[in-house]
Parts: sequence; structure tokens; C-alpha cells
Amino acid sequence: MAALPEIEAVKITEVVDHEPSHRRVVGLLLVAAVAVTLTVAVLRLPREDSPLPAIARFAMVVALPRWHTTEPVSEVVYGTRGFDTFGETFLLLAAVVGTTTVARRRELRRGFIGEELAGEREQSQVSESSPTADHPETASQAQPETASQAEAETASQGEAHGAQSDVSRAQSDARRAEAGEQGSGHHIATPDETPLGTPGPETAEAMTVVIRAAVRAVAPILGIAGLYLVAWGYSPGGGFPAGAVLLGLVLFVYVAYGYRRVERVIRPDVIEPLELAGALAIIAIEALGLFLKGSFSANFLPLGPVSTIRSGGILQAFSVSEFVEVATGLTLAIFGLLGMGHDWSRDEAAVTQDATGRDATGRDATGRDATGRDVTARDATGRDATGRDATDE
Amino acid sequence: MIVGNYLAGVALFCIGLYAVLTKRNLIKIVMGLSLMEASTYLLLLSFAYRAHSTAPVLLNPPNGQSPAQLAQATVADPVLQNICLTAIVIGVAVTGVSLAVIVRISQHYRTLDSDRVRALRG
Repeated sequence: MAALPEIEAVKITEVVDHEPSHRRVVGLLLVAAVAVTLTVAVLRLPREDSPLPAIARFAMVVALPRWHTTEPVSEVVYGTRGFDTFGETFLLLAAVVGTTTVARRRELRRGFIGEELAGEREQSQVSESSPTADHPETASQAQPETASQAEAETASQGEAHGAQSDVSRAQSDARRAEAGEQGSGHHIATPDETPLGTPGPETAEAMTVVIRAAVRAVAPILGIAGLYLVAWGYSPGGGFPAGAVLLGLVLFVYVAYGYRRVERVIRPDVIEPLELAGALAIIAIEALGLFLKGSFSANFLPLGPVSTIRSGGILQAFSVSEFVEVATGLTLAIFGLLGMGHDWSRDEAAVTQDATGRDATGRDATGRDATGRDVTARDATGRDATGRDATDE
Repeated sequence: MIVGNYLAGVALFCIGLYAVLTKRNLIKIVMGLSLMEASTYLLLLSFAYRAHSTAPVLLNPPNGQSPAQLAQATVADPVLQNICLTAIVIGVAVTGVSLAVIVRISQHYRTLDSDRVRALRG
């Protein structure tokens, strides 16, 4: 397993060194064709001196008398083209659901199928580095012989029989591996606590006191600005920009204080119901227009006086719901991306590389196995694995 | 001359398209997609522009006009601004989903090279 870091280093330099690209000529030709077509099209388009289209004029004229709002863009977004925004909202919701589904962690399982495959890298690193690892066969045992289910089961059986004396050591190894995964054992919250002259990259999860103080000062202003944008939406504003501002606030706090501090507040079990509540409110507002006024997305609320927080009827309600939806949805998507764990599949290349040199140690390990009854089966599957890996390459 | 904006939008679109067509790094393909999206924002907002116009906001219109007068005067196109807003949200959705998928692809195949992501099993 000593070859593993070297292999990784080789991979990284390979990615950095030669920039992969393909079909340059075909791509250039296609792009040139598209460019010519678009240029011809764009040169014939109406310019800045052409009159406003009829729908734009309609939105301008209708905004004040029919909706009591001074913001025609909001009137278009939530009023005359409300159905469009309705669909867009659920496109965003679908994207958020997709992102969180793809980004979620592996679910907890019953039983211990394939545990030694999932943890092989950490196991091998710990067994290698720890001075108490006087049984090199545990490291090679932890390495996978194949990816097949039966093989995994035989391996776990063998371990269950043979490694009873090693249970406590394995547990301490696992704990050390976990600590190593979470930041090399020692926990540094901010760079201010790093001892002077510490080598290597910073391991702190929060920023320095300067940035934390600045974010502390900016956060309430940004929060109020976001809420102002949605509440007083009759001047330029509305749910979308306000939600984006609130997302910016969350990201500021995340950058300054680190994932662990934000994780306690931005919990999926709080944010997800909020987002679905926003989506439900949007459905309710739009559908109530159908029942009360006979058309989807019609205004059924009384119009408040112009330039107040209540002006605009359902525009305001829709805008606030959209704000909740956008802010929570984008937060969920981004934190789903940020929180994607180390869910790596096993390193096929490294396994194949090992497969040639592993035979001696592997057979040695199984030979010294306490039960010894799995030797033949393991060997057969092991040879199978190398054969299959070779065909893969 | 708003035609300059139009042409800049076309150029941005073509740069993005070139990146999508010829790059093999998945992150760069998403960057190309984002560039194409950005070019549509530029185009839409340039279409909305009118010479000597103001923003389509009826609150305290400039030059002592009343809101009703402003509604008949030259303003930027509010419908196209709305469509740009929609485009931005859709762009965010597309980028978010594709980045999540790319993280999983890179974890599964241990590469960002789209040419090496060709196994159909697993």
C-alpha cells in the first residue's frame, strides 16, 4: 500500500500537465457557423430606437391602476406572467431536490456488508503509520480482493473468526482514522489559535478575527436589506433578489465561521420544511385565484394603497413566498454541495497495481489466518479479481 | 450603439459553446454552459434597452412626470427584464445540479476527464 500516495501524485500532475481537449477543428467549425448565424440574426433585430412592444406597454399601463404597484417588473413577474413564475418556481424546486438527492450521504445500512471495502484506504493508512501494526496481514486483509458480494462476505467472515484479539486495536485505529479525517487530530477553530511557526497549510475551519468581526458588522445590514427588498417590493425589489441577498448573508457567515458553526443553524430538517411551506403557499395563492376569481393567478386580495407594504394584492404574497422558496432552496442546494462527503469509490487503478505484488503477502496473510478455511476460496476469487481487472484495463 | 452589446452577447455565447464542445474537463464544460447563460442575460437586457429611457419604475418618476405619463413614455422593457430574471434562476438551477452530478462522477470514476467516463456498469 506504500505505492498509494505516489499513484495519487502521478494522477494530479497528469491532470495539471496536459490540458485535455478534443475535436478542436470540428468545434471551431461549428462555433464559427453558430457565430455567423447568430450575428446575421442579431443585426436584423430591433434596436434601441424601436417602439416598445405591446405587451411591455400593457405591463406599464396596467401596473398602477389594476395592481396598485409602482414596479412593473414585479407586476410582470408575479402578476401578468405569474404562471411563468409558477413553473419556474417548481423548476427551481426540482433542481434543489435533485441536488440534495445527489449530494446526500450514503444511507445507514443494517449489517456489515462491504465495510472493509469502504474503509480500506483509511485502514491501510492507519495500519501503515501506526507503530503497533506488527501484523501486516491486517492491512492486506483490509484490501479488497474483488468487488463481488460473496468475496466481501468471506472476508468479513474470516475477520470475524480470526481477528477477535484485534478488536480493541481495530477500534482504536478506526478512532484515529476518524480523527485524522476531521483535521489531523488537533482541533483548531480559527487561525488566531494556530501556534506561531506552524508548518504546512492552515487547518483552521474559521477565518481570522478581522473577517469574523467584519461579517458580524455586515450580516445584520445585509439581512435587513434582504427583508426590505421583499417587504417594500414596490420600489425595485421582490422575492428573487431578496432571496439571493439572504443566500449571500448565509454564505458570508459560512466563509467567516466555518461549516461546523453554520451547520447547527442551517440544518436540513429546518430548511426543507420551510422551502416546502414556501412552495405550498405559492400553490395556494395561485390556485385560490382560480377558485375565487375564476382564473389561475388572479388577484383575490384587497389592494392596499399605492406605495405601502400592502399594495399589490397577491403580488406581495407571491413575492414573500417566492423569497422563502428561493432563499431556502438556494441555501439547501449550496450546502448540499458544500457538505458532500468523502464518498469515494475504491481506487481501481491502485488495486490493479497492487494485484500483481499482492499475491505473496495476500497468500501469506490467508495462510496465517486463524481459521484457515477460507484460503482456497479467497485465492480463487482473488485470481478472478486480477483477471477481471486486467480485462478492464 | 446597442448592436455592440448584441455582438458581445454572440461572442460570449460562442466562447461558451467552444468550451462545451472541445474541453474534456467537466468543470470547464459547466463554466462554458455558464458563459452561454450569461450571454443570454446580456442579450435580453440589451433588447430591453431603449434610447433616452428610464427604468420601468413608476415610483417618483424623473423629470417631474406623473406615473401615468411615464407609463406612456420611453422606458426599458419590463417584460424582458422579467424573462432575464427567469433565465438567471434557471441558470442557477442548471449549474447547481450539474456541479452536484460532477462531484459524484469524479468520486466514482476518480477523474474529471469526460473522455474517461465511459463505463456503463456500476
